[in-house]
Amino acid sequence: MLFAGFALRPIPPWLLQPALDRGLRHVLDRHPDLFERLADLDRPRYRIDVTDLPFGFVLDVAPERLTLVRRPELVDVAATATIRAPLLTLLELMQGRLDGDALFFSRDLVVEGDTEAVVALRNAIDGAGIDLIEEAMGVLGLLAGPLRAVLERAQRVFDAAASDLETVRQAALAPLARRREADRARLEDLERKVAELSRRRKREERA
Amino acid sequence: MNAALPERTALTLGPVLFNWAPETWRDFYLRIADEAAVDTVVLGEVVCSKRAPLYGVHLPAVASRLKAAGKEVVFATLALVIGPRDLELVEALCGADALIEANDVSALGHLRGRPHAIGPMINVYNEGTLAWLASNGARRICLPPELSADSIEQLGSVAIDREVLAFGRLPLAVSARCYHARSRGLTKNTCQYACDADADGMAVETMEGESFVAVNGMQTLSHACANLLGDVDDLQRRGVRRLRLSPQKVDMVAVAQVFRDRLDGTLAADESLERLEDLAPDLPFTNGFYHHAEGSAWVPARG
Amino acid sequence: MNAIDRKVQPMELVCPAGTPAALRTAVDAGADSVYVGFRDETNARNFPGLNFSRPELEAGIAYAHAKGAKVLVAINTYPRAGDMGPWHRAVADAAALGADAVILADMGLCAHTAEHHPELRRHLSVQASASNPAAIRFYQAAFGVKRVVLPRVLTVDQIRALNREIEVETEVFVFGGLCTMAEGRCVLSGYVTGISPNKDGACSPASHVRYEDQGDKLVARLGGMCVDQFPTGSPAGYPTLCKGRYVTGNDDKAAYLFEEPTSLSMIEHLPALQAAGVRALKIEGRQRGRAYVGRVVQAFREAVDDVAAGLPPNARDLMALAEGGRGTEGAYRKAWQ
Repeated sequence: MLFAGFALRPIPPWLLQPALDRGLRHVLDRHPDLFERLADLDRPRYRIDVTDLPFGFVLDVAPERLTLVRRPELVDVAATATIRAPLLTLLELMQGRLDGDALFFSRDLVVEGDTEAVVALRNAIDGAGIDLIEEAMGVLGLLAGPLRAVLERAQRVFDAAASDLETVRQAALAPLARRREADRARLEDLERKVAELSRRRKREERA
Repeated sequence: MNAALPERTALTLGPVLFNWAPETWRDFYLRIADEAAVDTVVLGEVVCSKRAPLYGVHLPAVASRLKAAGKEVVFATLALVIGPRDLELVEALCGADALIEANDVSALGHLRGRPHAIGPMINVYNEGTLAWLASNGARRICLPPELSADSIEQLGSVAIDREVLAFGRLPLAVSARCYHARSRGLTKNTCQYACDADADGMAVETMEGESFVAVNGMQTLSHACANLLGDVDDLQRRGVRRLRLSPQKVDMVAVAQVFRDRLDGTLAADESLERLEDLAPDLPFTNGFYHHAEGSAWVPARG
Repeated sequence: MNAIDRKVQPMELVCPAGTPAALRTAVDAGADSVYVGFRDETNARNFPGLNFSRPELEAGIAYAHAKGAKVLVAINTYPRAGDMGPWHRAVADAAALGADAVILADMGLCAHTAEHHPELRRHLSVQASASNPAAIRFYQAAFGVKRVVLPRVLTVDQIRALNREIEVETEVFVFGGLCTMAEGRCVLSGYVTGISPNKDGACSPASHVRYEDQGDKLVARLGGMCVDQFPTGSPAGYPTLCKGRYVTGNDDKAAYLFEEPTSLSMIEHLPALQAAGVRALKIEGRQRGRAYVGRVVQAFREAVDDVAAGLPPNARDLMALAEGGRGTEGAYRKAWQ
């Protein structure tokens, strides 16, 4: 429905799992205490439903694992909490740019189940003082460039609105159509790079 | 006021928190003096210093009538003390030769070294604070409404009479803002005593029609009415020898009698509860805080 | 008279940090002091995943001190009867780790700290609700507090009058979430959820929040109770009890009976606060993200320095950061009351 999902739809989900594994590993290697703030919770599992993608994610905290799951199957996954949002909103969340107070202010982002666990996750990401996306870029290879371009564009909107979800929401409604067009072009570029990356990986695996 | 615990559980009638008409206020206490089975009566303005002059003219007569009837009379100070008018009220009261119940820390300096009581609007959550207050001269405390039974029991380690709010709407909050005035587009300064319209506080409901709280000027009270009738045995086991009944616009003489009879064992638990329900049909009951639940909850007695 | 002649000592800028990252951000953005809490119920922002472990506080204090900033540790909930250990340990650890002050609310804890850690500077938390000279003098005489964080119940005129009557420093809130009730004297949250600021360090906790999509409207609930409703397409707010919409007998229409979902904003009134003798300015928001903290601190750093130099504060629009996108002077303005 939204731009990002439209662009990424043709990519088979399993192609992305190895990159996810490496991305999470890389981040955890550098920030082993990332999930320490979630220690009081009983091994929470987050179901991350990306509304504009054909797949979502399941994030386990203990042991740490980020699993890609096709959307129709996602509903069957038992989880502590579900976070449902378009890709761009989730990326902002991962960058620690979404505010704890404002986490619920928007209908772009819906939280189900244990809301406390979701607030804790946001605080853990924010508290690590890292930009997860930026760090993960390192292992995303060819994906990094176009993804960064999309994020930088989004960031300008968010900067203007001070990253508050409330204002994000307001900002998002009117200029959404315009942003979609611009972002779609970038994401089509991203899609080509993803396809190229996966072809290359296939070649590597065969070799 | 004795630090030693009396065997019998005493009843205190708390101060009228609402803005009742001066004659209504006077007549209420005159009847209490003549008929109510309470041992102690707390008088005075706790919520808003603008109200004090209204019934103040009747205060001396009411106090002497209560004393003549054998009641112990205690005077309560304001809960939220901000401007000079508030401070003058506190200072004047603390200067009087009477038992004072402090509802704000501003009174504690004045009362230092002399026997006094602590009201439910001062934050006392633990034995450290209570011991300090006792060393300052406090001899009795009506505990804050959100304390659980376990906390109330733990506070028994300090040699001071513990009183627990057992009937009446729970004081939940005070504010510099007057919500009665605000609900009519007025402010505290221009309030026109909007609070005199609601003898039990102004009903506040959610957008779905659920009862929530009762507004009493700058104070917010629970919609539900505290009722620890079913918990009196447990309270006594935990060493509490004094219960407070907070006036509502119901027959408080009859309410006091129900508690007295229940405490004396002349009224069974079930029957006492039924009588109280009949006396206050519009007030749902709560004992949630006592049972470590949300304050609006009702936890039935455990046998 | 030129600006240099009028330069006075700037008011101290006291900034929130819910995480080590936010602490570093606040210090880098120009905070004079940062206030923090331990990751437990000993502080009034006991939110999931927030606050500092002991090693984190140690590192945070080192970072702040290296850059000339102070760290104040809020231990401002009320210790549990029969279980005061966690609060006593919090004070002892704050002292041992080199905190510049502790921010306390409970009288017993004040007395304990004065007795066992006499050299540890004591600030009185806003949660103690010391709203008048008599109360403040009492806390000073009894527990040696050096600074009082004033409850948000006073007008600027009242603060000026107050400062003339007391010896201790005053600190006032200038930006962020606004308690409508007198702080530390509100159990609305406990009444609805069983979790309260005084006991548990949380108000209207996230664990009890639920949003219910009813098609034409979104219902924001706390503990199952409807706190507000939002038509489709309009902004939805967090269901803080005192910022909800309710119906009273005076009017069948739901209204913000207690307060609208606004934030406190006093940046334009800093000269008046300085003239009123205020020593320190506090920004609320330990639960907010580091991006928020950085922006607000930076704006106030500039404004405070401008005011000290006799210049008008640059009231650049901070409202994008405010709850509901709106600001209020709250009780600082008499008509609010």
